[in-house]
Amino acid sequence: MADTELVLLGSRRARQGRRSPLRRRIAGARWSYVYVLPMLVLLAAFVVYPIIASLGYTFYRWDGIGDPTEFVGLDNFLKVMKDFIFWKALRNTFLYVVIVVPLQLVIALALALVLNNPRLRLRNLYRTLFFLPVVTSAAVIAVVVQLLFSNFGDVVNDVLMSLGITNTYIDWLGDPTFAMIIIMGVGVWHTLGYNLVYFLAGLQTIPGELYEAAKLDGAGAIASFRYITVPMLRSVGVVILLLSIIGSFQIFDLVQVLTNGGPYFATEVVNTYIYHLAFGGASSTAVQPDVGLASAASFFYGLLLIVFAVVQAVFLRTLVSRRGGRA
Amino acid sequence: MSPIQLNRRQLLRAAATAGGAALLAGCSTPGDKTTGGATTAATLAYWDWYVSQAPWVQNEIKLFQKAHSGIAIKKTTQVTDKYPDLMALAVRSGTAPDVFLLPKAPKLEDQVSQGWLTPLDKWATPAWQARFPEGSFVEGVNVFDGKIYSAPFSALAPSLQLYIHHGVFKEAGLVNPDGTVFVPKTWDDITRAAEAIATKSGGKVFGLGFGNAQKGALPWLIELFCRGAGSPGGTQSVDYRTGKWTYGTDRNYADFLTLLLDWKKRNFIYPSSMSISDEQARAYFAKGRFGMIVGGVWNQPAWEEGGFTDYSLVTLPSPTGTPQAFFYGFPGGYLGAISAKAKHPDDAWAWLDWFYSKEAGKRWVEGGYGLSIYPDNNDPAAVTSPTFKQYVAMAGTAINGPVPAIRNPDIAKVEVAPAQPDIPDVAAGIYTGQLKDVPKALKELEDRLNDALSTAVAKAKGQGLKVSMADYAFADWDPAKPYTTKRG
Repeated sequence: MADTELVLLGSRRARQGRRSPLRRRIAGARWSYVYVLPMLVLLAAFVVYPIIASLGYTFYRWDGIGDPTEFVGLDNFLKVMKDFIFWKALRNTFLYVVIVVPLQLVIALALALVLNNPRLRLRNLYRTLFFLPVVTSAAVIAVVVQLLFSNFGDVVNDVLMSLGITNTYIDWLGDPTFAMIIIMGVGVWHTLGYNLVYFLAGLQTIPGELYEAAKLDGAGAIASFRYITVPMLRSVGVVILLLSIIGSFQIFDLVQVLTNGGPYFATEVVNTYIYHLAFGGASSTAVQPDVGLASAASFFYGLLLIVFAVVQAVFLRTLVSRRGGRA
Repeated sequence: MSPIQLNRRQLLRAAATAGGAALLAGCSTPGDKTTGGATTAATLAYWDWYVSQAPWVQNEIKLFQKAHSGIAIKKTTQVTDKYPDLMALAVRSGTAPDVFLLPKAPKLEDQVSQGWLTPLDKWATPAWQARFPEGSFVEGVNVFDGKIYSAPFSALAPSLQLYIHHGVFKEAGLVNPDGTVFVPKTWDDITRAAEAIATKSGGKVFGLGFGNAQKGALPWLIELFCRGAGSPGGTQSVDYRTGKWTYGTDRNYADFLTLLLDWKKRNFIYPSSMSISDEQARAYFAKGRFGMIVGGVWNQPAWEEGGFTDYSLVTLPSPTGTPQAFFYGFPGGYLGAISAKAKHPDDAWAWLDWFYSKEAGKRWVEGGYGLSIYPDNNDPAAVTSPTFKQYVAMAGTAINGPVPAIRNPDIAKVEVAPAQPDIPDVAAGIYTGQLKDVPKALKELEDRLNDALSTAVAKAKGQGLKVSMADYAFADWDPAKPYTTKRG
């Protein structure tokens, strides 16, 4: 009996002994927790709670006014799955990501390599210039671009026609192909600065001795880039790639302001599709907002993105582990 | 001077104080101006979507405030296509304006049933109602369960016109033998005029332009041209002769869209029309970038204010030159209302009454904004603007048409789900070449809309309402003549 009590006491002390350092660590870092708390509360209130709350709305037809009463079961999900506009928007979103991300990363890396050169004069000025678009709101940029094309689109057309490059006027934001190209171009330009700064930070972690050693061994600029820069940037590069992909999937304001998803859904992306479902306004006729349908579309899109993210994570992990890097 | 240095605690305290002060300032109500604890003025919040008409509203507010020193009006003008959303959000958050122009969605009936509005019966006495033309207050239109919620503001008038730029037409030699500008009346006239403009200008000036960025301008073209050709539903309603949507079966729609594509192919249409806004298109028209534009009477005050008066207007161009169908209105009508949560309902009524007064209506007509509900105000002799005179003279192209909700009030309770894509999108798809088979696209649109209607009717029946698809059909209706809907 006494032995048993001793064992129990011992195990309890052992547990307390295990907890105490954790408590001590928490107590020691209490200010850090206090500082993190407001952000956590905001995250819970404005991100986590709406996600959970909107799950309930997916089962209702609801215009966002009053309480939802018209229960429709899984009809909203079926409607979204059968809606060709959703699939077109999904295709456009992936097209945007597939084109913008590689283009942006290649340009950002090339610029970072140039701007990382300590012999380049005024490099801080160039860095600032390339970063400037990032601090400007996408909606404001879109308004300016819209005004540029609507006011000076004719001038561009006249120049192109006089040079013999085109033989007809182009409605830059009203043509299905050109509108998407312009959105992608503005998208690349707008967030290029982020990736540029990330790559610059990554480049500055590579020890200069490695390049000096390679130079002594007779390696040229291309060989140094291929055998030193690329492998050393791999870990940072994977993070930049992930952030860039996530950022590109969030495309909304550029499309909403520049084209409103038109013409005929040629530039509709999933986020604008959801917005149009939730708040109407996709057409000049009064479209009834349906928050339930929009919530179902959001959840369905979320599921598709989770599947995509899992596939992507597995692929990237395999890629990094094969090359001996760390993700 | 030494720099100010704060430790962390002082900094936090200062931030909390500043934040608290900002919060208190943000929570204060601007509407209640108090001096020494006594309220001196009631501030009414008023919302509308009037942009071109803003000078009229501002003038009325000025006159009203002068006559009612105790009431101040705070006007907010919301962008047209977001107005219903903003109003719904305002009602939901308890910040609805005291007086507002009624949004198109939800239906007025639903706004009433959801408790958005104050009944006006307390003030809208029989004497007040008597100043309006007969048949202005109709159950199911602006009266629900015997209570009045709004009143008609404008007389029936054409919704859309084709505007003709005199300068462009003269440059292209489009003048009559007597030297006046040639005004096209048929579809062929318009094609010939557009061709002449494009040819004479060497492709620098275009025949026709529009601003479809808000997705409304293409449907306007279809509406104007197809009504003229004899499609009485236009883009607004079913064809009440059959009670069905007819985009696919009525060949006028396909014919017009084919003609439009032909104009586009021959470079008669301003090329950026799909991406510019209607406001931009109106400005380009005034500058002579193209010779014709479709729009409403609201275009005219802004043009005239900007000094552009050298234009003509014509409505319902048709293949033969004689319109086969018209614009249809209904008895009753509504525009302004008072919120159920209005803090000063009597003051809100005073403003609404002023807004609807005969004098304000007279100034509305004199300003060239539209026709007044009071027939005396619409005397062309009193109109000084020659272009607005042309508009007033076209009032006969708008007549009363059938109203299913008058024959069967239950029809007003049928909620038809929006069909997507609807005409604005399908028209854009056809115009940009994404929908290549025009008749097929129109037939699919027709089927979608008819399915949505019959589904809604079936659902309403299931809820116990006495409705059927036959309620939308008026076999005795002649679209060329005014129609009086008999109560069921």
